[in-house]
Amino acid sequence: MLSRDENELLTQTDSAMPAGKYFRRFWLPVLLPSEVPTPDCSPVRVRVLGEDLLAFRDTNGRVGLIDEFCAHRRASLFWGRNEECGLRCVYHGWKFDVNGTCVDMPNEPSEYGFGNKLRTTAYPTREYGGLIWAYMGPAEHQPELPKLEWARVPDSHRYISKRFQETNYLQAIEGGIDSSHSNFLHASLDAFRVTDAYVEKVRNSNNLRAKYHLLDKAPRFTVKKTDYGLVIGVRRNAEDDRYYWRLTQFLLPSHTMIPYQKGLAIHGHCWVPRDDQTCWVWTISWNPEAPLSEEEWKTIRDETFVHAKVDPATFRPVRNKANQYLLDREKQRTANMTGIHGFASQDQAIQESMGPVVDRTRERLGTSDTAIIATRRLLLQEIRELGEGREPFTAGHGDVYWVRSASLLLKRDVEFDEGARELMKAEV
Amino acid sequence: MALNGHNRTTGRQEVNPGRQEVNPGHIVSVQDFSADTLRNIIAHLKASSSFEHLVYREAELDAIWTITGFFLANEPASSMRDEVNRLHAGAQKAHDLVAERLPGAAATVLEAFL
Repeated sequence: MLSRDENELLTQTDSAMPAGKYFRRFWLPVLLPSEVPTPDCSPVRVRVLGEDLLAFRDTNGRVGLIDEFCAHRRASLFWGRNEECGLRCVYHGWKFDVNGTCVDMPNEPSEYGFGNKLRTTAYPTREYGGLIWAYMGPAEHQPELPKLEWARVPDSHRYISKRFQETNYLQAIEGGIDSSHSNFLHASLDAFRVTDAYVEKVRNSNNLRAKYHLLDKAPRFTVKKTDYGLVIGVRRNAEDDRYYWRLTQFLLPSHTMIPYQKGLAIHGHCWVPRDDQTCWVWTISWNPEAPLSEEEWKTIRDETFVHAKVDPATFRPVRNKANQYLLDREKQRTANMTGIHGFASQDQAIQESMGPVVDRTRERLGTSDTAIIATRRLLLQEIRELGEGREPFTAGHGDVYWVRSASLLLKRDVEFDEGARELMKAEV
Repeated sequence: MALNGHNRTTGRQEVNPGRQEVNPGHIVSVQDFSADTLRNIIAHLKASSSFEHLVYREAELDAIWTITGFFLANEPASSMRDEVNRLHAGAQKAHDLVAERLPGAAATVLEAFL
């Protein structure tokens, strides 16, 4: 449960709001490079943190991210010409470079000297880890890029998708760290009913998650605050004197990782506020040791797990609110809990069903919601500290992101962060 | 006063201050709002100081608030309604004090219900 004030403090990210100022202390993913593929290509609209911006790649290959609306009469620069190292407004010909400087003002007499003195809003960008990132905060606080493992593997080891979600970013993060929903929302009916066939299948598989989720459906939660945010340990009883642990990271301001089993691909998300009612969901799958395998590509293509197909222009998922996520009631009766295909669409459907900004004063939380409580408290603490003049430590220390999620068996008397210390180190 | 709307014991609690050492790094298993459960939470509140401890205490108080809310919704004719209503409000107050990093004050609020 949160108070109304706390809920608003966490979920409002316009530039004047405390959480908006907090997010503006970090580099945030804003574009796939393929959206601005070549020099002088078409500009694209980008809405992030409640700001309407325009991205373009100039003649020299630099990516600009500027106010969508011309500083002259506020016409949209989306209609503009991307030419000779700048974007020219087609209304009166004013032209802006990637730094936001007005480099040409052909309708004003040159003796007035407006040119080169006028600037529009422009944010620095970086191409890094298969994405274009932007920093939208004060220049004097520009942070380091986060040294996330997935950002440092070769392109062939990584796949990134982008989708539009009709909820506030926090609802999406809360889905990402709430591991207790996976036994229900993402379950097959066989798994939910624990049929003999399912038990047999699990017994013969190497999938530790399925095996130990079957043995213990009431996991215990542990959280630890770290330099990067939180590590969330979820513990289930295993054989003999051991526990099965699944460790998820929440990395400030809005990255998460799904527990990783050695030898398989790792998956993570970054949830970026588009505005207070919508967010961008960046989903990353990577293998630190090898190119993604054919089996991993098949999972991506078939949309069975964390990625979902989207409209290439709007990034709205093919399965979306307007078409009820292509819900199949027959499938729900016979195959899985939701009747919706794929984990990503299942998550999106249930999170969007809560409304754009869920009223957290009306929740009924329990101890299985510990990770959600911890994440909110950490973000509230960070946002309030910034309001008191303390800069976020994490933003200035890119090295702290050098971690990976884990799942493992440990003796019951071993603390999970001790037992998993080596596994949680990123290697790339 | 012993409030236990579900007439259940607290047998699955991980930590019982009467029998074991209080460990604020463990989450108290909240299955009811009996005096035993409240005592256990109070003991843990008094031993809590770190970010993690306070998160666990908040989760426990959320759980007390939730199950007292269920009781109030489902037991309209119960003679315990007034008491449970007060505990429901007290759990919220204690929860908000924990959010303000005041676990000792939260413990004092709950002690009024023993």
